[in-house]
Amino acid sequence: MTDQTQQAERVRRSLKRRYRKESRFRAYGMLAIAIALGALAVLFADIIGKGYAGFLKTTITLEVDLDPEVMYLDDPTDPKQVRMADFVAPLVAAADDALPGATEEDQDALRRLINPYASTELRAALEQNPEWMGTTRTMTFLAHSNVDVYVKHEDDAAYSIKLSEQQQAWVDDLVERGLVDTSFNDVFFTNGDSRDPAKAGVLGAIVGSLLTMIITLLLSFPIGVAAAIYLEEFAPRNKITDFIEVNINNLAAVPSIIFGLLGLAVFINLFGMPRSVPFVGGLVLTLMTLPTIIISSRAAIQSVPPSIREAAEGVGASKMQVVLHHVLPLALPGMMTGSIIGMAQALGETAPLLLIGMVAFIVDPPTGFFDASTVLPVQVFLWAGSPELAFIERASAAIMVLLAFLMSMNALAIWLRKRLERRW
Amino acid sequence: MNTMNPSIAAKAGAGEQEPAIAVPESRPEDTVIEEGKTVGKPFAGDADSPKFKLRNVSVSYGNDRAIKDISLDIRRNEVISFIGPSGCGKTTFLRCLNRMNDSIEICRVTGKLMLDGEDIYQSKKDVVELRARVGMVFQKPNPFPKSIYDNVAYGPKIHGLANRKSELDEIVENSLRKAGLWDEVKDRLDAVATGMSGGQQQRLCIARAIAVSPEVILMDEPCSALDPIATAKVEELISEMSESYTIVIVTHSMQQAARVSHRTAYFHMGHLVEVNETNKVFTAPEHELTESYITGRFG
Amino acid sequence: MPKSKDDMYGDHISHQFNDDLANLKNDFLKMGGLVEQQTIDAVNALIDGDGWAADEIRARDRIVDNMEKDLDEEATQLIARRQPAARDLRLVIAVIKMVSDLERVGDEAKKIAKFALTLAEEGHAPRGYVEVRHIANHVTTMLNEALDAFSRLDSTQALKIIREDKRVDEEYQAATRTLLTFMMEDSRNISRCMSVMWVLRALERVGDHACNIAENVIYMVEGEDVRHTPVEEAAKIVGP
Repeated sequence: MTDQTQQAERVRRSLKRRYRKESRFRAYGMLAIAIALGALAVLFADIIGKGYAGFLKTTITLEVDLDPEVMYLDDPTDPKQVRMADFVAPLVAAADDALPGATEEDQDALRRLINPYASTELRAALEQNPEWMGTTRTMTFLAHSNVDVYVKHEDDAAYSIKLSEQQQAWVDDLVERGLVDTSFNDVFFTNGDSRDPAKAGVLGAIVGSLLTMIITLLLSFPIGVAAAIYLEEFAPRNKITDFIEVNINNLAAVPSIIFGLLGLAVFINLFGMPRSVPFVGGLVLTLMTLPTIIISSRAAIQSVPPSIREAAEGVGASKMQVVLHHVLPLALPGMMTGSIIGMAQALGETAPLLLIGMVAFIVDPPTGFFDASTVLPVQVFLWAGSPELAFIERASAAIMVLLAFLMSMNALAIWLRKRLERRW
Repeated sequence: MNTMNPSIAAKAGAGEQEPAIAVPESRPEDTVIEEGKTVGKPFAGDADSPKFKLRNVSVSYGNDRAIKDISLDIRRNEVISFIGPSGCGKTTFLRCLNRMNDSIEICRVTGKLMLDGEDIYQSKKDVVELRARVGMVFQKPNPFPKSIYDNVAYGPKIHGLANRKSELDEIVENSLRKAGLWDEVKDRLDAVATGMSGGQQQRLCIARAIAVSPEVILMDEPCSALDPIATAKVEELISEMSESYTIVIVTHSMQQAARVSHRTAYFHMGHLVEVNETNKVFTAPEHELTESYITGRFG
Repeated sequence: MPKSKDDMYGDHISHQFNDDLANLKNDFLKMGGLVEQQTIDAVNALIDGDGWAADEIRARDRIVDNMEKDLDEEATQLIARRQPAARDLRLVIAVIKMVSDLERVGDEAKKIAKFALTLAEEGHAPRGYVEVRHIANHVTTMLNEALDAFSRLDSTQALKIIREDKRVDEEYQAATRTLLTFMMEDSRNISRCMSVMWVLRALERVGDHACNIAENVIYMVEGEDVRHTPVEEAAKIVGP
C-alpha cells in the first residue's frame, strides 16, 4: 500500500518534470516557426516594398502642336518625309509650352523629362492618323525613367540625383498641375525587355518561361512517371536496379549548373540545337526535374496500400491492369504534386539556363519553341545587375510576378491533391 | 519434432480406416462417408476426384522452408478450415492455391498442386485464369476506393464476362444478393465502398470475389477485423455459399473453424499435423499437438 | 509425446482455466464419495435394522441434490466462459452426465433407506439379506472403482467395470430367483420379500450407474462414445 502511494508520488513528481520538458520542447518548435515566418515576412516586405513601384508608370501629358515647320517638314503629305521628320522637336516645344519658366538653353533638360521612345510613339500615332498633321493634340507619354523614379520616391533623395534641381522643380510643378501622373503599369506586362527601364516589361520572360515549362512538363512528367512505374512495379530487384536507384537519388542532389553544362555540351554542341531557345531550356530543366519527379512518383506508388493491389490480383487482374486501374489512379495525386513542385523548382531555376544562352537581351516575346527568349528568373538576374535605379524596382516587380507564378503552381498542387485524393 | 511427420501419416492413415462416425448435418450422409475413406490416401485416378489435389507441397522463402511436404485433398463444395499457431504456414499454404505468392520473388513452391487434375504451377498456366477460378478474400476488408457497383463489376469487366450493361447489372445484383448485401446497398450503389462499415466492406469483398463465378474461394482470416455481429453475418454467408463453392478458410478463431467448416486442418511449424472432420477435431483430435492447440495449452 | 495423466488438465496457458477444471474434478469426486457413503450406509442400516441411521441417510440426500445443482452450474459456467475444446470439453460434458448418474445413485440410496425403515419397523431379520449384502458389496466396489478410474483417468479400469456389470446382472437374477422360492415357500413372506426385491433392484441400478460413469470415463479419456456398443469393441478402443 505504502509502496503504491510512494510510487504514485514519484510518478507525480516525474510528471511535472515531463510537462516542463514538453512545454520547453513546444516552445522550441514555436520559436523555429517564428524565425521561419519572420524571415519570410522580411523577405516579402523587402520585395514588395521595393517592387510595388515597379507596377506603377509615370506619364506626362502634353499639348503637342504637330506643326510641320517645327518638324522640319517641307511637304506634310509625303509619307517618306513624314517618316524622316523630327518628332522630338514638337515634344520639346510642348514641354516648353507647359513650363513657362523654361528658356532656349533648357531644351536638353526638357527633352530629358520625356521618355526617349515618346518620339517613336508620336510618329506611329501620326502615321496612323495623318489628318492630325497641323493640329494641336493633348497626348500622354511615358515620362523619362529618371522622372519616373523621382515622382515615385519623392521622399527619398537617393532617387533624385539624376535630375537637376531645375528639372525637379519642373516635375513638381507638373505634378501639381496634374500633368505628370502615375498609374498602373500596363507596359510592364505588355512589353518585352528594353534598355529603357520605363519601357521594359516581363511579357517576353513570362512567355519564355511558359514555353520552357510546357516542354519540361511534356517531357518530364511522362518519362518520370513511366520510369517510376517501371522501377516500382516491373523491375526485378537486383544489383542493376539498386544501382539505378542510388544514381537517381544522387542526381536529385546534383547542382543545377551541372545540368546546364550537360545541356550545353550535349544539346547545343553535340546535337547542334540553337542557343537561347525554350526548347533546349525545357530539355535541360527536364533533366533537372526528372529525379525529383521519379522519386516523388515512386513514393506515391509505394504509398498505395498493398491490400488494394492484392484485391485486384485476387479477382484476376493482370499486372498491367493492376497498375493502370488501381495503382496509377491512387498514386496520381501524389505524382502530380511531386511533379508540380519539381516544375516550380524548374521555374525558378537560373543557373543552367545561363549556360545555354538564355541570358541574352531579347526584346520581342518569343513566338515559338525555337525562338530566342529569356525566362523570368533570368530576367530578374539581368535587371538586378543593371545600374539604373528604375531597373532595381523592375527586378523586384519581376520577382513578385515569379512568386505569384510559384504560388499559383503550389496552390494548383494542393487543389489537385485535395481534389483527387481518396481515403482508403 | 523431427519424428512428427511419419507418425502423423501413420495416425492419419489409421484414422481413415474406420467408418466415419461423425456426419456433418448439412451434408448428405453417403457422400461424407464415401469421401471420408479417401482422405489422405494416395490418389490414383480416384473416380471421386477432389477439387484440389496437393501432393508433397513445400514452400521456401530463400533458405527458409515455410511449408514442409504437405499433401492434402480439398473436396468439392466443402468448407475446410486451416488452423494453427501464428507462423505455422497456413496462410502461406493458402496463398499457394491461387499463386498469390508469385509476387514474392524469393518464394519458391515445389510439389504438385492440381486443380481439377491440372497442375496450377506449370509454367504455361495463366495466373489470371487461375485467379478467376480461385477467388480470394483477405484479412482486412480491401474494397477498391470506387463505388460499390464498380467494386463488384470490376472482375466481370476485366474478364469480359458481360457484353452489355444490363448483363453486368445482373451480375452485380446477383453477387450482392449472394453476399447478403443487396438489400443494404441497392439504393446507394454509386456510394464509395470505403464509406461502408467493416462488415459490409468484407461482404462486399466476398461479393466481388463471387462476381467472377469462381469455383473455389480462399479466405484469409476474413473476420479478424470484424466485430461479432459482422462476423456472424460473414459466417452465415460462408455456410450458404458452401452449397455452390469450395471454400478454404484460414482462421485464428478456433470457434470460427468449429462453426463454419466441414473439415479442419491443423498446421504446425510448416507441417500439416492433422486433417479431419471438424466434429472430430474439436471433440477428440487424433494428434497431441492439435489437442494442445485447440484446448489452449500452447505457449 | 506421451500423455502425462497428472497434468492432463493442468497445463493450460490460463491458470484460472486449470483451477476451474481442477475444482470441477474435485467437486465431482467429493459428490461421488458422499453418494458412495450414502449407499454403504443405507445397506448397513437395512441389514442392521437401524431406523435412525435410515432417517439420517434420507435427510442427507438433500446435500447430494444441492451438490448436483452446484456441479451443473460450475460446468455451465466453464462452458460459457472458457469454451473448452477436445479433452477439456469431454471432461465437462462427461461430468455433467455423470453428475446425474451420481444423483440417481443418491436417490437409490434414499430408496434403500426407505425400505430399511419399513423393514426395521417390521422387526426381525428377513431372508435375502445375504444376497443384498453380496450385491451391495459388489456395486459399491464398482462405484468406488468408477470414481477411482475417473480420478486417475484410467480407461482400462473403466472397461473392467463395464465387464463387471454383466456379473452384477447375473447375481441380481440369481438373487431374484432365490427370493421367489422364499415367497413360494411361505406366502406370508411375500410382502417383506418384495421389499428386499426392491432393494436388490435399487442396488442393480447403482451398478448400472457405475457402469455409465465408467463409460463416460472412457469417453473422457479416449474420445470415443462406447455407450450402446459391445464390450469387445469398447475394449478395442481402450487398447491393451
